[in-house]
Amino acid sequence: MTPSPIIFTPLLIAALAVFAWGCWKRFSLISLGQAEDRFDNIGTRIHEMLLYAFGQKRVIAKPFGFNHLVIFWTFIILMVANGEFLLHGVFPSIALTKLPDGIYLPLVFILDFVSLIALLAVAVAAIRRMISPPYPEARTLEAFFILSLIAILMLAYFGINAAKIARMQGGALNAAQNWMPVSSRFAMLIVSTEARQVFIISWWVHAFALFAFMCYLPHSKHMHILTAIPNCFFKRLEKPNSQPRENFAIGGSFGIDQVDRYSWKDLLDSFSCTECGRCQNVCPASITGKPLNPRGVIHDIKVNLLNNGGRLKRGEKPGTPLIGDGGEGSISEESIWGCTTCGACMEACPVFIEQMPKIIQLRRHLVETDARFPEELLNLFENMEGRSNPWGIAPTERSKWCSQLDVKAFDKDTTEYLFYVGCAGSFDSRSKHVSVAIAQLLDRAGVSWGILGKDEKCCGDSVRRLGNEYVFDRMARENVATFKEKGIRKVITQCPHCFSTLKNDYRQYGLELEVIHHSELLRNLVQDGYIKLDKTTQDMGAIVFHDSCYLGRHNDVYDAPREVIKAATGRAPIEMDRNGNNAFCCGAGGGRMWMEEHTGERINLTRVKEAVIDKPDTICVACPYCLTMFEDGLKDIKVEGVKVRDVAEVMAEAVFR
Amino acid sequence: MGATGMGRDLAGAIATRVGTGLTADCTGLAIDDKRNLMQTRPAFGGNIMATIMCDKFRPQMSTVRPNVMPMPEYKQGAEGTLVRDPFTVPEENILTKVIEIIHDAHGKGVVDITAAEFIVSGGRGMMGPDNFAMLQELADELGGVVGASRSAVDAGWMPGDRQVGQTGKTVRPKIYIACGISGAIQHLVGMQDSDMVIAINRDRQAPIFEVATYGIVGDLFQVIPAITKTIRELKQKK
Repeated sequence: MTPSPIIFTPLLIAALAVFAWGCWKRFSLISLGQAEDRFDNIGTRIHEMLLYAFGQKRVIAKPFGFNHLVIFWTFIILMVANGEFLLHGVFPSIALTKLPDGIYLPLVFILDFVSLIALLAVAVAAIRRMISPPYPEARTLEAFFILSLIAILMLAYFGINAAKIARMQGGALNAAQNWMPVSSRFAMLIVSTEARQVFIISWWVHAFALFAFMCYLPHSKHMHILTAIPNCFFKRLEKPNSQPRENFAIGGSFGIDQVDRYSWKDLLDSFSCTECGRCQNVCPASITGKPLNPRGVIHDIKVNLLNNGGRLKRGEKPGTPLIGDGGEGSISEESIWGCTTCGACMEACPVFIEQMPKIIQLRRHLVETDARFPEELLNLFENMEGRSNPWGIAPTERSKWCSQLDVKAFDKDTTEYLFYVGCAGSFDSRSKHVSVAIAQLLDRAGVSWGILGKDEKCCGDSVRRLGNEYVFDRMARENVATFKEKGIRKVITQCPHCFSTLKNDYRQYGLELEVIHHSELLRNLVQDGYIKLDKTTQDMGAIVFHDSCYLGRHNDVYDAPREVIKAATGRAPIEMDRNGNNAFCCGAGGGRMWMEEHTGERINLTRVKEAVIDKPDTICVACPYCLTMFEDGLKDIKVEGVKVRDVAEVMAEAVFR
Repeated sequence: MGATGMGRDLAGAIATRVGTGLTADCTGLAIDDKRNLMQTRPAFGGNIMATIMCDKFRPQMSTVRPNVMPMPEYKQGAEGTLVRDPFTVPEENILTKVIEIIHDAHGKGVVDITAAEFIVSGGRGMMGPDNFAMLQELADELGGVVGASRSAVDAGWMPGDRQVGQTGKTVRPKIYIACGISGAIQHLVGMQDSDMVIAINRDRQAPIFEVATYGIVGDLFQVIPAITKTIRELKQKK
C-alpha cells in the first residue's frame, strides 16, 4: 500500500535541494566572520555538548523547559520513523515491518507512544505561548506555524497507522491493538471501506509536512535544531568575562561596526538563537525599560548579516549599518551603552550565546574610532588617563585611608600579600571604612600584607568594559610592570571588579597572579583558625545578602561571603528571590557607575526594593559599587532603619566589639 | 593672554606654532633673577600650587584667569614700549568665518553654572524644593547662581542642568558654597577645583569638610539667612 515512488522521489529530491540551498545560503554567511579557534579541548567540548545540547541542562533550569526536553527527545526518537518514511517512499522494499517481530513490535510501540507525547507537548507549548508567553512579542505566526506543523506530522503518522489497522483482522489486529495502542484508538474512527482513502491522504500529508519543514527550516528560527548542538560544542570553555586585547594597527579601524568583523562563532550565535527570551527576562536594562534587549541585539546581528550578506560576499560596503537608529538589523547607541556587563544574559542562554562581548566590541568602535560616547564619560576617561583614578584625585592621596593605622608598603622580600585597595577603597569616604575593617582583620589574623600606596593605579576595569582600550592598554601595562618589578604574586582585593580584572584580564599581559577577594580570604582565615570568633554579633539584625555580578556570576564566588556572615552572626543571611547566579545587578557595572540613566526605572532602585521586601535590618554586600548603589537607593526610596554593610564590616563587628 | 574663550584658543595655537611651552590658567606670575617667568597655578585638584617654568624655550607664554590678579597700583611716569602691528590678513587666509551666532534656546531659565564665579549649592540637607529660594537670595546678593548635588536633582528639587558632580557639570568658581551636601566623592569631582569652598553641614563628620577651605558645622537654615543678611548690610555700608 505504498504511494508511487515515481512521484515521491523527485519531490523529495527537490525538497532536499531547497533545504540544502537554504542552509548553504545561511551558513556561507557565517564564513564571512573572522577566524577564532574553538577547536581546542575536543574532549571537554564533546562533554559540554552532550550535557547541554543533548542533556538540555540549561533548558530545564526553568520548569517549563521540561516541555522542550520532551519535544527534543521525541524528535530524536521519531527520526527513526521519519527516516524510514523517507527511505520507504523512494525504496518501497525498505520498511520497519521487515524487522523481526522481537525488535519491530517494541519499536513500533515506542514510536506510537512517543508520537502521542510529542503531540501533547506541542499542544501544551502552543497553549502556553498563547496564554502566558515568555515575552509578549513571542506570539508570532512563525512560532504557531511550527508547532502546528509538528502536530500535523504526528496526526498524519497516526492516520497512516490507523488506516492500516482499520483493515486488519484476527491475529494481526490483536498485535496492533497491543503494540500500537494510540493508533488503534484512531483506527476505531475509520470505516474500513474508507481506510485506503485515509491512508493515502495521511501519507501525503505526512510527506508534505516533512517537505515543508525542509524548505522552511533554514529561513526560520527553527534553524536552531541544526545550530544549537554545534553552538554548545563551540561554546567558550572559560567564562566570557574578559575581552581580547585590541590590535592597534596603524590605519586600522577598531572595534566592530560591520557585521563581518565579528568572528564566525559570533555569527553562528546569531543563527542559533531560538528567541526564547530568557536573556531579556533577566537583563537589568530590559527589565527596567531601557532600549537594550540582548535577544534583540542577536536578532539584529542576524538580520544585518542577512541583509548585507550579498554585498559583503562581493566585497562591497554594507547597506544596513550595524550601529544605527535601532531599526531591524541595526543596534542603537542607547542600547549599546545600556549594558551593565552583569552577564545574566549569558548565564541564562540555553545554547551559550555570548551577547555581552558583542556589545563591548560595538562600544570599542564608538569610543576608539568614532569618539562618540555619553558626555559623562569624558570626565572619567580624562581622569583615568591623567590621574589613574576615576575622580581625578592626586595619587599621593591613596594612603589617606590608613593615615591613622600602621600600614606598611609592600616589600618583595618580607611581604606575602599585596592588599590592592582599589580606587573606591582609597578615595571614597564610605568605602574607606571597609578598607580599614579589612586592614584591622588582616592584622588580627597575623597576615603578612602591604600596600602600594601612591604607586597603586586603577585596575582599569571600567574603561575596558566601556570599550576604551587605548587607556586600558596603557593602564594594564603600567600595572603589570609595577607588579612584576615589585615581585608581587599574591593579591587581596577589596573590590570584585579589581578581583576579576587582575585575575582574568591581566593574564593577557603576561601576568599570572594568585588573586583572592577579601570575602574569600576572611572565610579562609576563620576556617583555618587565624581569626577566632568566640562571640557573634547580633547588632546587624536580620541580614540579606546581595551577590555582586563580578564576584558571583563572573567568578563563581557565592559561598565565601555567606560563610563570613554566618561565622560573624551565627546565622546564614536571608536570600533574595533573585540570588546566586540569578542575582539582579546593582546597576553600576560596565562603566555605568559613571553614567546617568535616562529611561525607565533606575536599576539600583529596582534591586533595593527587592532587597527590602523581607524587611531586613542590614543589607550585606561585598563590593564598593554595590555599597554605593544600595546606600543611595535606600535614600531615594526613603526607607529608614536599614543599614548597608560590607561583609568585612560585619566580621569586624564580631571580632572587635 | 587672558584666559577668555578667545584667549585659550589663541594661546595654545600660537604656542604650538612658535614651538614653546604654555601654562594655562595661572593664578600668579613673577620673574626670577634669570629672567624666567614663574608661572603659578593650582594642580592635582587644587591640592598643591605648582610653579612652572619654561626655561628652555622662548618666548614664555601663559594665560591668566580673569579677575584673579589684583589690579596693580597706577604708577606715575612708568614707561614701557607699546607695539602696535597694523598687520592685515588676506581674506583667503582666514579659514573660518563666523556666519551666525545662535543663542542656546533650550528654554527660559536655563542657566550655565560652569560660567559662574559664585555658586551656592544645595544637597539633600535642603529638605525640600522650596528651601532653595533661600540659596537663590544669597546667590543674587553675590551675583552668582544656585547649583545642586545629585540628591537634590534626583529628588526633583532642582533641574538637571544645575547638577554638579561626576555625571553633572564640573565647575571652577571663585567661591563654592556647599549647603547640606555631604561631600561624597562623586560630588567633589565636580567642584574640587574651586578657588574657595565654604561648607555648611549639620554633620561634623561629613566628608565635605575635608576639602572645604572654611567649614561651618551648623544648621544651614540659620546660617544661610545670616550670611545673606550680613552681606546685604556690608553692601549698604559701602
